[in-house]
Amino acid sequence: MKKRRVHLILSLLLAAGIAVFSLTPLYWMLITSFKRPGTEFRLPVEYWPSNFSLESYRVVLGSDFLVQRAILNSLIVSSTAMIGTLLLGALAAYAIARLKFRYKIQSLIAIQIAGMIPPIVVIAPTFVLIRTLGLLGTLAGMALPNMAYGIPLTTWLVASYFAGLPFELEDAARVDGAAPLTIFWKIMLPLAAPGLFSAGVIAFLGSWGEFMLAFTVGLGLPRVQTVPVAVLSYSQAFQLQWTWVSAGTVLSLLPVVILVLIFQKRVIRGLVAGAVQ
Amino acid sequence: MTPVTVSGRQIRASGQIQTDMKVNLRHESTVAIALLVPAAVALLIFNYYPIFQTFIFSLFELDHTTDWLNAPFVGLQNYLAVIGSEQFWQSTRFTLGFTAVSVFLEFWVGMGLAVATFWVTPALRGLLRAIIIIPWAIPQIIQASMWKWMFNSDVGLIGDMLVRLGLVDSPPLFLVEPLLAMGSIVLAYVWKGSAITAIFLMGGLALVPQDLHEAATIDGAGAWRRFWAITFPLMTPTMLVTLLFRTMDALRVFDLVYGLTGGGPGTTTETLSSFAYKFYFRFVQFGQGSAYALVTFGLVVSISIYYVSRVQGKLRFRQ
Repeated sequence: MKKRRVHLILSLLLAAGIAVFSLTPLYWMLITSFKRPGTEFRLPVEYWPSNFSLESYRVVLGSDFLVQRAILNSLIVSSTAMIGTLLLGALAAYAIARLKFRYKIQSLIAIQIAGMIPPIVVIAPTFVLIRTLGLLGTLAGMALPNMAYGIPLTTWLVASYFAGLPFELEDAARVDGAAPLTIFWKIMLPLAAPGLFSAGVIAFLGSWGEFMLAFTVGLGLPRVQTVPVAVLSYSQAFQLQWTWVSAGTVLSLLPVVILVLIFQKRVIRGLVAGAVQ
Repeated sequence: MTPVTVSGRQIRASGQIQTDMKVNLRHESTVAIALLVPAAVALLIFNYYPIFQTFIFSLFELDHTTDWLNAPFVGLQNYLAVIGSEQFWQSTRFTLGFTAVSVFLEFWVGMGLAVATFWVTPALRGLLRAIIIIPWAIPQIIQASMWKWMFNSDVGLIGDMLVRLGLVDSPPLFLVEPLLAMGSIVLAYVWKGSAITAIFLMGGLALVPQDLHEAATIDGAGAWRRFWAITFPLMTPTMLVTLLFRTMDALRVFDLVYGLTGGGPGTTTETLSSFAYKFYFRFVQFGQGSAYALVTFGLVVSISIYYVSRVQGKLRFRQ
């Protein structure tokens, strides 16, 4: 009994310590965002705002910054890329996990190697390609490459999910004379929904955080800034106020933090499947 | 019509259906290829073709242009220029040092976090996992501005804490002193990296059979000994995969450096990726930039191949 209480107290202490480690930078941004602009440079440093103010939120939502536009742009780019990635990735994953064909391992390896190419190696030709397509400074110019970048991990995660499904239903449908594509759409995809879902969230977060491409293809145009590009531009803005940067950061992190917290279990399961299998 | 409950094995036993299966097999591989084509096309366009094009760029002198068809061919001269420059060796040293230190730190911090989620009372586990996963969800470039503000030399939280704890008289100039700037990048990187490392390692920990632990406990082994004798060896495959992923991620670090120090002070925290990016989009030298990028790629590939060839034997037993 006594031992259990000691364990409980130690657990609470440990959890508190980890919370301090993981959440301090976020706490600091949150506190700063509520300080009146200009007071964030006051000494002594305030760990709790003495002049609570929502002024910075008004500024970053106002016409100079329009953080909501960056969030909307990111939502458009990430969801478009995610849908494309899921579609192409799931098709490839089904072939790899469930169908018999030659060069299966080789195809899998070729897909996975594509995911290991550092962005810096592909950025210059991608820039030229997007320019040739006339998509510089557009959201489509960001969504298309991001769709491809997500395929390797998505294929891996969805294939490992497909591989774990029982063969009976598929065999039964085949005996009934169902075409492979029908089997894929009507039977396998619904069965794999949980796996597709985690892979989708992970792919979404991947393009949400992508910076180099969005920065390069966006040409510095405020109109097509995604969240990462926008937050960087705030911290490099003329007459920098860190309360503005903080408010912009807090608002732009809100969607992903909520997303991750809601789907925490699925995201973790998806990522773990990637590492363990 | 065959009843739908017939299992695959029973079908194969019947001769008539077996010939159908053979036709099916040929058909199956056609379907498989058709399903792979869309993904393959996307990867060819946006992942594989650019490597090839980068290689072509690297053989030409491209000063403020990407029109390599009308540019002078210079062979391997760009590569010689890269290898001959002191800056290349400096950024290589920093990239490798950064990778070694960061991967080491995030592995052990991540291991600590992962073990903690299993050790605490079950009621706290979900909450702890949620807390741990948050840094992972924050884009690296946004982290860069968060940490820039944390490291502010006048009113930054970290400097102020150090002063309050009496460790220093005045806040250190984190992003101005070369060694401190390097340390700051490592700290910011490890903060996020240990989150994803912890998530991977949790998966490995979950695979360790609980009865082994119980048996060892009955034999009188303490928690510390159980970890090193049971958990650690059984987690080897997960740990190796995690280390490979993390090493490759660290070798290509760009966002954090670009946002936090911009490669400074001077060029002391310039990584291979950030320097290649400068060649492309600041100096607009696509030829030399491409050579830089490909040398980076070569480094990543050779380190991964070396790594995979070293650990292959240890991974095999999971098959």
